[in-house]
Amino acid sequence: MMDVDTEAQDARDIASRIVTPGTLVTSDSAYMRGHGTFMENATIYSSVAGAVERINKLVSVRPLKQRYSGEIGDIIVGRITEVAAKRWRVDVNSRQDGVLLLSSVNLPGGIQRRKSESDELQMRTFFAEGDLVFAEVQSYFADGALSLHTRSIQYGKLRNGTFVTVFPQLVPRSRNHFHSLPCGVDVVLGVNGYIWISKHVPASKIEQNSELIYSDKNEFISDDERETIARIANCIQLLNRLYVKITDTSIIFAYEASLGHAVKDLLTRDIAMDLAHAVKAHLAQQS
Amino acid sequence: MASLVLSPAEQDFIIRGVEKGFRSDGRSNLDRREVTLQTGMISQANGSARCRIGNLGVGTDVLVGVKAEVNTWAPGEPETMGSVICNVECSPSAAQEFEGRGADEINVELTQLLDRIISGGSQGDDGLDLSALCIIPKQAYWVLHVDALVLDVRGGIADALVMATRAALMETRLPRVVVETITDDAGTTQAEFDVVDDAEDMVALSGVSGLPLAVTFNQIGKRYTVDASEQEEAVTQAKITVAVSPRMDICAIQKGGMSRGFPPSLLSEILQTAQRIAKEEFAKFATLYEEAAKRSEQQSDGPSTGSTFLVPF
Repeated sequence: MMDVDTEAQDARDIASRIVTPGTLVTSDSAYMRGHGTFMENATIYSSVAGAVERINKLVSVRPLKQRYSGEIGDIIVGRITEVAAKRWRVDVNSRQDGVLLLSSVNLPGGIQRRKSESDELQMRTFFAEGDLVFAEVQSYFADGALSLHTRSIQYGKLRNGTFVTVFPQLVPRSRNHFHSLPCGVDVVLGVNGYIWISKHVPASKIEQNSELIYSDKNEFISDDERETIARIANCIQLLNRLYVKITDTSIIFAYEASLGHAVKDLLTRDIAMDLAHAVKAHLAQQS
Repeated sequence: MASLVLSPAEQDFIIRGVEKGFRSDGRSNLDRREVTLQTGMISQANGSARCRIGNLGVGTDVLVGVKAEVNTWAPGEPETMGSVICNVECSPSAAQEFEGRGADEINVELTQLLDRIISGGSQGDDGLDLSALCIIPKQAYWVLHVDALVLDVRGGIADALVMATRAALMETRLPRVVVETITDDAGTTQAEFDVVDDAEDMVALSGVSGLPLAVTFNQIGKRYTVDASEQEEAVTQAKITVAVSPRMDICAIQKGGMSRGFPPSLLSEILQTAQRIAKEEFAKFATLYEEAAKRSEQQSDGPSTGSTFLVPF
């Protein structure tokens, strides 16, 4: 029998290790194997490249890179790939396209307006191929595809800005995924790694015009707003490439640290590395 | 090339940005993204280079290898010249549309483009001196196989392709050839050649400093950009690639890939801009090439294990 000290020591040894496929994790038969591992001759090996995690007697390996797999309640950004009968197929950066049912969207002219036959025939006036949609995961279909909905005033078609893709695991799940940053720019952080950066439009303006929720027209974007949007986009790109968690806090830190450089220089190797280190240091300091 | 579909709002944002001269990543219309160059990584080739144009280690990535072999002359071929045979292949892993036979069309287009650019000035003083590749007239000559592999596509391919090819040809070393004239008993003279098998005794190609560089312009809205990203390619109306030699001569022009035309007045403006940009690019290229050459000399036999994805390759 192991005494508590050795067990704790073992546990410390097991966890917080980075392993590659085939690395021996533990040969202690007391542990159960979780995700990312396989067992051979009563020994647990890692099957992915990642960090070892231990919860009580369960040992698993969390991979460094993983496809986004949706969970109910996830807030995501998706791109419409296909218009089908009473539904849209949406690219959500996962193994399968998600589905947005016609019955899961708000129709223009008031939230409570009922769906009519003509709506089914004019689905492209709502979302067409290529449109970006801000939605929430409602449920799963039988085959595992995500079912999305936009039944809330803040969800719907995205405009007035630009799109960035990041690693999904860098966007932590949180209470709020729509942030109005102090620099005058709105960011939508989709948990699936799709991010939308846009000009700040006050919420009151959106609510006023329920007819325009499916409009494709951008508002007027001034030069300063355009520059801020580009700066935030570049900050997010460099946070992504240097593997820093992407939250409103880290984006704001990166933005402030970047103000001394021209926007286009933010993506050059040396400046990007310096900024990422500064953000990591700032985040560590804060926590 | 890009099968990216953008929403009308995104397209409008990009187009208006270009018309104001401020693109989505903060570049001005004529700015290129970061260029990284590496040479000499294929030890079995006579010359090799890899060029990546993009940000933070992700970009359009082209690998070029040059292999030389001796060909026997056949009647009908040029009598006092060697030849260069280009082949461009887009790897299916570079983009989804290149899967299976999807890359066939673009492979042919890029091969012909590279062919024209390399030989577009070589009869004059621009570009490779093909007569220096002749070993014995009407008997033997060097043929250079230039093979390019496109590893990743993030926006246009032509610029990275030509840059990598230029670097590979500059790095190419041929074995020295000794030509002897032998007179046999009957009095007939015959020339024979012998390839010297000494790794230290290699000859560079003549005329490589005259090879051109390419600049691709994409017309977006009422303006045009240099080095378009994938999103900008998706809203491009027309595209034109201009190859300029170090003497500022136009070696090749290719308009293609898109289905719309553009006004001739824009063409003359683009050619002049191409010359201006090419001038700066030649200077930058020289620096990059020098650094790459230095790095490949210092390279140890083992792979470096530092933060490799941001370090040039």
